[in-house]
Amino acid sequence: MKTGPDQLSTTFQALADPTRRAILARLAHGEATVNELAEPFPMSVQAVSKHLKVLERAGLIARGRTAQLRPSWIQADALREASDWLDGYREFWDESFDRLAESLRA
Amino acid sequence: MSETLARRELRITRVFDAPRERVWRMWTDADRLATWWGKRGWNTPPGGAIVDARPGGTFRVRSVAEDDGREMVTEAVFREVLAPERLVFADAGGGVATVMLTDLGDGRTQMRFHTTVHASRTAEAGMRSAFDRLAEQLP
Repeated sequence: MKTGPDQLSTTFQALADPTRRAILARLAHGEATVNELAEPFPMSVQAVSKHLKVLERAGLIARGRTAQLRPSWIQADALREASDWLDGYREFWDESFDRLAESLRA
Repeated sequence: MSETLARRELRITRVFDAPRERVWRMWTDADRLATWWGKRGWNTPPGGAIVDARPGGTFRVRSVAEDDGREMVTEAVFREVLAPERLVFADAGGGVATVMLTDLGDGRTQMRFHTTVHASRTAEAGMRSAFDRLAEQLP
């Protein structure tokens, strides 16, 4: 996956929506067509299609180009990228607070 | 997928074996803050921390990496300062951090830390990591 300066922002924005997270959770079990994805949601196929576009732009999913049904599948790299970044942020504070505790003991 | 990841926020709770006033000073006294700020291997040089703990006051820390001298600057503005229990500061990217200190009554202090991370801050970090990777690939 190509990671530009704004890729992480796009990824986090895509993940901010609960429906899109539910779609991703479904795709984690295997690829699915738009119709299959739309089934559990009280929304139109068109609405789900829009969410898929956002997820695709964020690099979180890929979609078939040729078949009419255009199955979607998950792209783990973008998700890992976002998760790694947040881990790094957490590490900063965790290590700082370890040092804070040491300073208090000194 | 975790909610935390999607909402770009972080919560950390710690209990310190020290009275609340001392923990408060660790945050609001620049010299004391300089002793602990940053990941291991990153130090704050003398005069590298500015902590003007009042609403609208500056919070600025310059950290230097031990191994190669890289620098990192954290800059924020205090939004709320309620000694000795509550600090809120916001960075230029819109990320807001809150520190809440509770006196546990037995000489210990509970610290609850919460931060949100704004998208632009996220982009900046993404850019940094992209540059880091680029630098690694250069001879």
